[in-house]
Amino acid sequence: MTRRARRPARPALLTTALAATALLASACGGAQDEAAAVDASDWDAVLAEAQGQSVDWYMYGGDQRLNTFVDGEVADRLADLGVTLNQVKITDTAEAVNKVLGEQQAGRTSGGSVDAIWVNGENFATGVQADLWACGWTADLPNAEHVDLDDPAVATDFGVPVEGCEAAWQQASSALVYDSAVLDEADVESVESLLAWTAREPGRFTHPAPPDFTGSMAVRTFLYDTLGAETVTAAAEGGGLDDDVYEEARDETFDRLLDASDGFWRGGETYPVSQEEVEKLYADGEISAFLTYGPGAVGSLVEDGVFPESTRETVLSVGNISNVSFVGVPANAEDRAGAMVLADVLQDPEVQLGLYEATGIFPVIDLDTVEPALAERFAAVDAGPSVLSPEELTADALPELDSATLARIEDDWRARVLRGEG
Amino acid sequence: MSPRLRIALLLAPALLVVGVFVVGGVLQAVLQSLGFAPVVGESQWSLDAYRRVLADPAVHASLLLTARVSLISTAAAAVLGTALALLVRRLGGRRRLAVLFHGTLAVPHLVGALAIGLLLAPSGLLSRAAYRLGLVDSVQDVPALTQDAFGWGIIAEYTWKETFFVAVVALAALGRRVSDLEDVASTLGASRWQRLREVTLPVLAPPVAAASVLVLAFVTASYEVPRLLGRPYPTTLSVEAFQRYRDIDLTSRPEAMALAVLVALLTTLAALAYLRLVGGLARRSL
Amino acid sequence: MKHSPWRGAAVAVVAVVTVLPMLPVVLWAVAGAWRYPALLPPELSTRGLRLLLGDGVLAALGTSVLVSTSVALLACLVGLPAGRALGLHRFRGRRLVQFLLLAPIIVPPLAVTLGLQVFFIRYGLADTVAGVVLVQLVPTVPYAASLLAAAHADLDTDHEQAARVLGAGPVATLRHVSLPLLRPALVTAFLLTFLISWSEYVLTLLVGGGRVTTLPLLLFSAIESSDRTAAAALGLLVVAPPVLLVLALTRVAGRDVAWMGVSRA
Repeated sequence: MTRRARRPARPALLTTALAATALLASACGGAQDEAAAVDASDWDAVLAEAQGQSVDWYMYGGDQRLNTFVDGEVADRLADLGVTLNQVKITDTAEAVNKVLGEQQAGRTSGGSVDAIWVNGENFATGVQADLWACGWTADLPNAEHVDLDDPAVATDFGVPVEGCEAAWQQASSALVYDSAVLDEADVESVESLLAWTAREPGRFTHPAPPDFTGSMAVRTFLYDTLGAETVTAAAEGGGLDDDVYEEARDETFDRLLDASDGFWRGGETYPVSQEEVEKLYADGEISAFLTYGPGAVGSLVEDGVFPESTRETVLSVGNISNVSFVGVPANAEDRAGAMVLADVLQDPEVQLGLYEATGIFPVIDLDTVEPALAERFAAVDAGPSVLSPEELTADALPELDSATLARIEDDWRARVLRGEG
Repeated sequence: MSPRLRIALLLAPALLVVGVFVVGGVLQAVLQSLGFAPVVGESQWSLDAYRRVLADPAVHASLLLTARVSLISTAAAAVLGTALALLVRRLGGRRRLAVLFHGTLAVPHLVGALAIGLLLAPSGLLSRAAYRLGLVDSVQDVPALTQDAFGWGIIAEYTWKETFFVAVVALAALGRRVSDLEDVASTLGASRWQRLREVTLPVLAPPVAAASVLVLAFVTASYEVPRLLGRPYPTTLSVEAFQRYRDIDLTSRPEAMALAVLVALLTTLAALAYLRLVGGLARRSL
Repeated sequence: MKHSPWRGAAVAVVAVVTVLPMLPVVLWAVAGAWRYPALLPPELSTRGLRLLLGDGVLAALGTSVLVSTSVALLACLVGLPAGRALGLHRFRGRRLVQFLLLAPIIVPPLAVTLGLQVFFIRYGLADTVAGVVLVQLVPTVPYAASLLAAAHADLDTDHEQAARVLGAGPVATLRHVSLPLLRPALVTAFLLTFLISWSEYVLTLLVGGGRVTTLPLLLFSAIESSDRTAAAALGLLVVAPPVLLVLALTRVAGRDVAWMGVSRA
């Protein structure tokens, strides 16, 4: 083999050093220009600007029916207005907020990649703190006339004033889903009776580990049961919970949960990562009861044979936890006008009806403001024998606490219950 | 053109990629773990991220899990892969089985995680078969093999995939030359066991060791398998790093970088230690 | 051991254990409702396979093919000259270069990408196919360079010398002499890097930001969803091309095929 003798060459170090420093050196670029604001009060101008825009809507993508609805009816309506909808499915809303924060940190103040986010609670609050959102536009949406903007559920989001920084589009209500072939009605009356049942028939109940959205609600349900509805309501209306009250209730709740968790799935030794995981466990018959934020979607799962026919829903005596979720538009978004048109389309009564029919997601609009014929169609939606009506579900609705308290509950639960720290 | 310049030019594109991305990336991870805020923002230099990470019980648990999963998977793959290669050589039908092994190698780990989940989960195929055979009465009786405390599901996935990697590497090494050596040994009166210990295994050791280093480095750092087959707590270091990077609180990012640096350090150390152990391998590895 | 009756059985056992984990994937892909504890799906359904014809999946398939082809081409383009330098020449710093080229195999690309992410955003590469292709060069270039270095080391350079003596220019020599000799290695390098890119998940997720949707991204969210049939059907779609490619290649190439082993996700 002929291998040519070569004079020693030593390009390696030099090239590498140069290349490695190139990135660092070029890192000192200046910030880009701030994006010009979109004035939503001139709606025709918004529509004109939105023409030809492509809206990247970051949304939780785990609900197939919702995905189909958004890809179909919502996208079609936007297409009629000259706006292309691009649904970006994520598993956790925090990803989208994190992405905008990352862009902000990297100096990208215009041309941002996230045009709209399905958001509420802690993620919204984080964005408010970081001055992330475009604000003051939601009252100008033509369809906002159907939304009661003064309703505390719409005007504040987990204790944070909304102030036109996000537009409401759907309502979530908690419920307990259970297999009536395994549990009696007496078992699902209250948190107390549910925990007593898990002690008798161990391994058949669980909830996702917070920070999963539903998992967080499950832990709150137990905490609210300790606190009592009055304290929760007072705290939500006033300035949150006193530290002492919270800590006492937390310790009592977690002690109770740690006692009871022997009867949970896997002996409470671990918890599923997500609500989808929980629903798979229920479909497989591994568990026989779970808490949900989407009680309206259960009917179709029973119909498809995924859930057993004996599936039923109820509200535990502690009450149901309700919240509204929104569409937020980052201030640096590339296609803000299009994102506002999306928010408006979502509040359209016909779209809200279609959403309810297709996915079982409850409307956020005030049904008194829509035409009577349409209101009747809302009332006529039949979700099957497994599902409770919105009225039954929300009869004992509890408000959400502020998101700082929520974050604290989640952290404390992870430390005490999941990791078993003293 | 001078030869030196020629070689420099030939190497430039590859070194640019490795230099900018790998060296630059690691450097950036180190800097950002120390509080450097690139592009905009105030850099505040400190070791706080490392202090926080090293004091965090979640990280301790994660370290333990990562070490357990990667060491057991690597050891299992090395032993089973070598044994499989020897078995296949004895069995004959080597070509067809080798083709099968190659096919298995090409299965992406993401699909592997899906497959192992559908096989080993309490409602998975094995559990259904056990039920049919009357070994379990209900799904509650099935021992947890995925999302379990030990990490068996993760280990199973890596072992399944990487055993065939090691086997393929070992089979490639068991060429005609080894057979000749074995024949010589047996002419000299060596027993079957002596032949294996004195001739075959020494020939197999270097390539299997090199393959094991790759497996170890890969398993220690990979994300999707522990994410899909593991628990929310504890998680492996890569999952922990990724989650902190994605945390809504951007102040967790230095911790994410610190964890990433830790993973990089671990894989490098493991690789160096291993290579040293089997000595002289570095020359063969490229 | 000659042809004992156990031989066939043993081969069969090895073969079954090898492919057993893929069995539930195939079953779920064609299953209708399949509740525990039924051993086999009580009813078959084409729903999973029909899902693969949806717009989203076809678009992701297109993106995957585009990304992986670009990555493989670029990795070979970058790896070919480096392989030539390493395979044909002895020079000071050669060991260092080899070490650097090995680094991405040992140092996790995830750590590298976390550090670089902010620059990808700053320079408009985040969320783009170009950015994803660039970042995937990290895990692919080392393999392309190593493979092609080995091929060059085995290359008989007398042919090249002869061509040059007979008056062929460097380009003509490359085209008519070197490349044909290197063809098997180039094909292997191309396929191997294609496979690595095809399986890549976490780098695509980080740099693509959920907007560059390749098949592994779709598969990951399908595995996380409650729809096992969809996940299994997508799993089959993701697994089919690499397995078929490797099987085809095992017949064509011989020696270099051990490198396929390192095609990992």
